[in-house]
Amino acid sequence: MDALREIWEFFSTAMLRGGMYSLMAVGLALVFGVMNIANFAHGEFYMLGAFFGYFILSAVSKLGLPVFVPPILAIVGAGLGVAAVAGFFERTAFRALRRRSKGQWLMNTFLLTLGISIILQNGARLVWGAKYRGVTRMWKGQSLNQLLEIGLPPDRLIGFLIAVLSIGGFVLFLNKTDTGRAIRAVSQDETGASLVGVNLGRIHTLVFALSGLLAGVAGASLLSVTPAFPFMGVMPLYKSWFVLILVGMGSIGGSIVGGLILGFLEAFATTYLSNYLGSGSQEFICLTVIIVILLIKPNGIFGKSVKSAVE
Amino acid sequence: MTNDAAVAERPTNEISPPAVHASASPFRRALGALGLSPAGLAVMLACLPLLASLENEYWIKTLTTALMYGALAMAFDFTSGYIGIVNFGFAAFWGLGAYVTGCLSYHLGWGPWQGLIFSVGAAGALGLLLGLLTIRLGGIFAACMTWFVAMAMLSVTSNWVTMTRGATGLTIPLLFKSSANFPYLVTMVVLTLVSYVALSRLVRSKAGLAFQAVGMDQESAAISGVDANFYKVLNFTISCAFAGFIGWFFAHYVGVLTPQVLHTRATVEIMVISYIGGRGSLWGGLAAALLIIPSMEQLKSVQALSDIMELRLLLYGFLMIMVMIYYPGGLSELFRALCRKLGLLKWVTAAK
Repeated sequence: MDALREIWEFFSTAMLRGGMYSLMAVGLALVFGVMNIANFAHGEFYMLGAFFGYFILSAVSKLGLPVFVPPILAIVGAGLGVAAVAGFFERTAFRALRRRSKGQWLMNTFLLTLGISIILQNGARLVWGAKYRGVTRMWKGQSLNQLLEIGLPPDRLIGFLIAVLSIGGFVLFLNKTDTGRAIRAVSQDETGASLVGVNLGRIHTLVFALSGLLAGVAGASLLSVTPAFPFMGVMPLYKSWFVLILVGMGSIGGSIVGGLILGFLEAFATTYLSNYLGSGSQEFICLTVIIVILLIKPNGIFGKSVKSAVE
Repeated sequence: MTNDAAVAERPTNEISPPAVHASASPFRRALGALGLSPAGLAVMLACLPLLASLENEYWIKTLTTALMYGALAMAFDFTSGYIGIVNFGFAAFWGLGAYVTGCLSYHLGWGPWQGLIFSVGAAGALGLLLGLLTIRLGGIFAACMTWFVAMAMLSVTSNWVTMTRGATGLTIPLLFKSSANFPYLVTMVVLTLVSYVALSRLVRSKAGLAFQAVGMDQESAAISGVDANFYKVLNFTISCAFAGFIGWFFAHYVGVLTPQVLHTRATVEIMVISYIGGRGSLWGGLAAALLIIPSMEQLKSVQALSDIMELRLLLYGFLMIMVMIYYPGGLSELFRALCRKLGLLKWVTAAK
């Protein structure tokens, strides 16, 4: 039974983490692929999502709605709120930069996102203080309690489901709707897309907001695992960049797989290797893996000729 | 395209400063060998009596910190401004230098000066290793890889408690016996000058030309017979070694080290200063640090704003965004443009 429990523990951790890493990485890959922006404020979108989710959740739970409603409202609200913030930054900062110059675009936007990240981190600290705000359980209810009794933490299960649903919905949107096609067209060729009548400015704002939405959903749905804190964004940012480098930049499908790979790697390291390597085993394993992969395939696992887009 | 737009688009490309020819006087050539322009020398000489007359311990400390960040920003700019690679794990090399001398003195009882060579060596060696591994990737790949390694180093220093004492902090003997801050300021001034002269001599050497060529267009440089990877790794190693050098001073200046030194936040702070100063100028970062850090300290002393650390950092972020949008060339480019308008360019350019 113990072995079974360990295996279950391993899988649930791996799936939950992997799903969330995928969710984060997909947004990052989208922005990089379409707008050629290396977004280092992505972790702060996650942080904002957690804060928004927390405040909505604590406000809505008092209303006495059915138990499933408050977390759903919190996650949706957090996603939309972060999307608005992300859209705002795209409209102001990036648009201003785009209008002024296109030289050294990748570098300048990278530094711009760093500035945004500083502002969001310290703004959050100024407004909400350096305090952890979390909940012990997001999803409550009779049927879920039964799940818990047989050793399935409902928050993890539902967290993974949310990741799958969001990514699935996002991929459908990208492939099946006109707007999604327009986004893909812009990522392939900006000039061509604008020639056939795609409104570039609108697509850019939408893409940035969409990436913020995904990060916000991730932050809000993990509220019971990682409580909201102004400086919590570094880790998710690090992980999602790790995924992108691992699989190759700007590939949406690759990022989904990469997130899962990273989730399993980390779960493996914490479950089976931390006895030998101590508490830093995760970082150690991940670093080793990425170094080996970059030595064999410098453009990442699924990367082909991305290098030209990067440099 | 207007001249202004050209400047904004290509901020790093001041390869051969105009107006100062080989026919310059021996004095100016000697100055140029140190990487100094007449104006730069004048500013330095003017600062000397100011430095000597400083008595307020608080300001001495602030100035020392500012100079330290300035030196770090220069070392950072040496890589980012010349070969176009962002070392996003820069603070980790700084912290490595600090921790190497710290551990040597804590565990083996070594004196500060004995650890110096090891601090520089360790940071340089890691830089070389990482350079060989990642630099050929270029662009955002290199930035991320240096960052990943820095995160791993942060994790190691936090978790290897027997060696680094983790978050409790590693106590390190100070550089000087007396408790006065002035000797540290003098040391830091010397270190800054040494760093500046060494880095600007490097930039002006043949290797420096290769750095710039590689940074501007790697393919063209390779076609002209420049071994791009060699020069990139060389540049990266030197920059990291300098970070370790300043880390060594930092360890023996503050006396207590915590893993926070290696944090991404420290890297970002150095980066902000360096980019506000202007990429590819070296002195820009120093000037920015000397302007920003004391004025931030001054802001702290305003009654209404005291205790609001966030406000200071918010300002950093805002400044960074504004510079990136409206003047990516930074302070040094602004200064240059101003001097060009006033016809003073000759006096602010160091002779070849």
